[in-house]
Amino acid sequence: MSATRTTVRSAFGVLALSGALLLSSCASENNTPGGSADNASQAGSTGNTGNTGNTDCFSGNLKAEGSSAQKNAIDEAISVFQTKCADATIDYNPSGSGSGIKQFIAKQVDFAGSDSALKTVAVDGLVEADDAAKACGSPAWNLPMVTGPIAVAYNVAGVDKLVLNAEVTAQIFDGRITTWNDPAIAKLNAGVKLPATPIKVYFRSDDSGTTENFTKYLKSAAPDAWSYETGKKWTGKGEGKEKSAGVATAVKGQDGGITYVELSYARQNRLQMAQIDTGSGPVVLNAESVGKTVATAKPTGSGNDLALKIDYATQESGAYPIILVTYEVVCSTYADPAQGAKVKAFLTTFASDAVQGQLEELGYAPLPTAVASKVQTAVKAIS
Amino acid sequence: MSTLTREGRAAGESRAQPRSGDRLSDQHDQQPPDEGATPPGGRPDDAALEEMGNPHHGRAVKDAAARVVMWGAFGAVIVPLVWILYTVVSHGVNLLLSSTWWTNNQRNINSGDTGGGARHAIEGTLMMAGVTAVIAVPIGILTAVYLVEYGRGPLARAISFTVDILSGIPSIVAALFVYAVWVTTFGIERSGFAAALSLVLLMIPVIVRSTEAMLLLVPNELREAAYALGVPKWVTVVKVVLRTAFSGIVTGVLLGLARIMGETAPLLILAPYTKNFQRDLLHGNFPTLPMMINQDRGDIGFATAAERMWGAALTLILLVLLLNVIGRVIARAGSAKT
Repeated sequence: MSATRTTVRSAFGVLALSGALLLSSCASENNTPGGSADNASQAGSTGNTGNTGNTDCFSGNLKAEGSSAQKNAIDEAISVFQTKCADATIDYNPSGSGSGIKQFIAKQVDFAGSDSALKTVAVDGLVEADDAAKACGSPAWNLPMVTGPIAVAYNVAGVDKLVLNAEVTAQIFDGRITTWNDPAIAKLNAGVKLPATPIKVYFRSDDSGTTENFTKYLKSAAPDAWSYETGKKWTGKGEGKEKSAGVATAVKGQDGGITYVELSYARQNRLQMAQIDTGSGPVVLNAESVGKTVATAKPTGSGNDLALKIDYATQESGAYPIILVTYEVVCSTYADPAQGAKVKAFLTTFASDAVQGQLEELGYAPLPTAVASKVQTAVKAIS
Repeated sequence: MSTLTREGRAAGESRAQPRSGDRLSDQHDQQPPDEGATPPGGRPDDAALEEMGNPHHGRAVKDAAARVVMWGAFGAVIVPLVWILYTVVSHGVNLLLSSTWWTNNQRNINSGDTGGGARHAIEGTLMMAGVTAVIAVPIGILTAVYLVEYGRGPLARAISFTVDILSGIPSIVAALFVYAVWVTTFGIERSGFAAALSLVLLMIPVIVRSTEAMLLLVPNELREAAYALGVPKWVTVVKVVLRTAFSGIVTGVLLGLARIMGETAPLLILAPYTKNFQRDLLHGNFPTLPMMINQDRGDIGFATAAERMWGAALTLILLVLLLNVIGRVIARAGSAKT
C-alpha cells in the first residue's frame, strides 16, 4: 500500500512541478512586433513615430468594447500608448457596436466603441443615451474618433471594374436585381463584360453600425428604391454572416458575391470594390474621395457631446458617399476619478494628430481638422 | 485483498470480444469448402438460388456487409480526425517552433504583425481549468459517493434527475445563467472566475456520472469484507471504495477537463480576451486559447492572424493531449495493487 502511495505522490509531484515550471517567471512582455509577412495587404504597426502629445501614463487596465469597424484603428492607438506606458493594459473587445453599448450601460467596460452615436429616441422602449447617462451618473458623450469608408465589395470572375449607383445598389441588396448581367447594372458599366452569374448578397447577421450607416446611405441616396427602415439589424435580403470578417471571407469564397464592409476588411481579403456614381460620375474609394465627404460632415450635438451628420446623398464631384464615423462613447464624469483619468489619457493619445495620421494606411480617414480639435477639447473635459 | 479495477474488467471484456469475432470469421472461412459452394463469379443463377436457399451463404453475405459497414464507419470517423490533425499541424506547427511562442504574450502585436507568443493564453487556459477543477471535482465526487453509497429515496432520485438535466444544458445556457446572476443581478464585472463558474456547471455532471459508474463497479464483497472487520462506513468509502475506483475517477476528471478546456461560449460571454498576461481571475479581461483562436479568426484576412489562429488551435490540442497523458500516468500509479 505504501509503495502505491509513494507512486501516487510522485506522480502528483511531477504534475505540480510541471505546473510550476510553466508558470515560472521566464514569461516576457517585451514584444517587438514584426511587420506583416504579407506585404500585399496593409502595413502592420508603424510603431511609435511622431508627436502624440504628453502622455499621462497610468498603471492598471482599461476595458473597452464595441464596433469591429474601428478595431484596427484602436489596436494601433493601443500599441502606441502601451509602448509608451509599460504598466498600462488596454483591452478592446471587437464584439460589435450594439454589444459595446450594452456592456457600457451594464458598466462592464470603461468606454464603448460605436459606429453610431447613442440614440436619443426610444428603440424597443429603451433610450440608449438615458441608460448610458444613468450608468455613468453623468451625461454620456459621443466622441467621433475615426472615420472609415464602407466598401461595396464584390467578387465576380472577370470583372475588375464595376460602377454602381445608389439606386442599383439598393435593388441588388433588396434582391430585386438577381444576376450580374442585369440591364440596370450593364447600363452603368458600358464596355464591361458582365457574366450571368447569380448575385449572392451577404449581410452582417450581428447588430452592426456598418449596417446602420450603409442602410442610412441607401435610404437617403435612393429613397425610392430602399423602402426599409435604417438600423443596426439588416432588413434587406441575402445571407447573414457574423462580423466584418465573416462577410468579407464569404464574398471572397463565392463567385457572384457582394457585401458592404469596412475598407480595411475589403483590403485584407483583397476584394474588388465598386465605384459609386453619385450623379456626378463614378468615384473610386480612396483617401481623397473619402476626405471630401468627411469634410462636408456637420457636427451636431451640444457642448462636448459631438456627433457628426454625414450627407450621404452628396453629389459633390469626387466625393465617396458611403462612410461611417465611429465614436467612443464615454462618461463625461466617471464615478471613479482614477478610471476617468485613464480614459482621458488613452483618448488623448488616440485623438492626437500623430495617431490620427497613422490611420490612413490602415484604411481609415483622419478626422477633419475642425472636428479633431473639438474632439481634443472634449477629451480634456473628461473627468 | 484482491481488487478488480475497472481497467482490468474493461480490458478483459475488450479482449474477449475480438476473440469471439475471430471465432465467427474462422467458421465462416471454413464453411465454403465444406458446403462445396460455387466459387465467386460462377454461374449466377446458381449463386442466386443458393443465396436464397442456403442459410450459410446468406450469413456470409451479411458478414461481408457488416464488415463493409463497420470499416466504413471506422473510416468515417478516422478520416476527418486525421484530416483535422493534419490541417492544424501543418498550418500551426511553424509558430510553435518559434522562440517566443512559449514565452511571450500578444501585447502590442496587431493583427497584421508577426511575433509575440501564446503564453498568456496557455497560462490562462490552465488557470481557468485548474480553478474549475478545484471547485467541480470535490462537488462531483462527493455527489457521486452520496448517490452510490448513501442516497436512497426521493432525495437521491431528485439529485440524480438534476444531474441528468445539468448534463443536458448547452454551454451557452450555463454561460447566460452565470451572466444573469453575476453581472445582471449582482453587477459584478465579467472575469475569468465568472467563466470558471459556468464551466463548473458543465464539468460537474461529467464527473458525477463517470465517478458514479466507477463506484458501482466496485464489488460489494469488498465493502462487506470491510464491514466484517468492523470498519466504519465512511472509512470503508474513503479507504476501500474510492481507492479501488481511483483510476476510473481520474479518467473521468480528465474527460471533464478536456471537455471544458476547449469550451468557448462561456468565455465569449463572461471572459473577454486580452493580449496581456492576466493572473487576476477576479478582475479584468482574461486570456484563453479558445478566445485567442476566436480573436484571430476575426482577422483571418491577415496571413499573420491566420497563422496565429492555427498555432493556438494546435497548442490547445497539445495541452489536452498532455493532460490526458498525465492523467494516464496518475491513474496507472494509483491503480497499482498491493
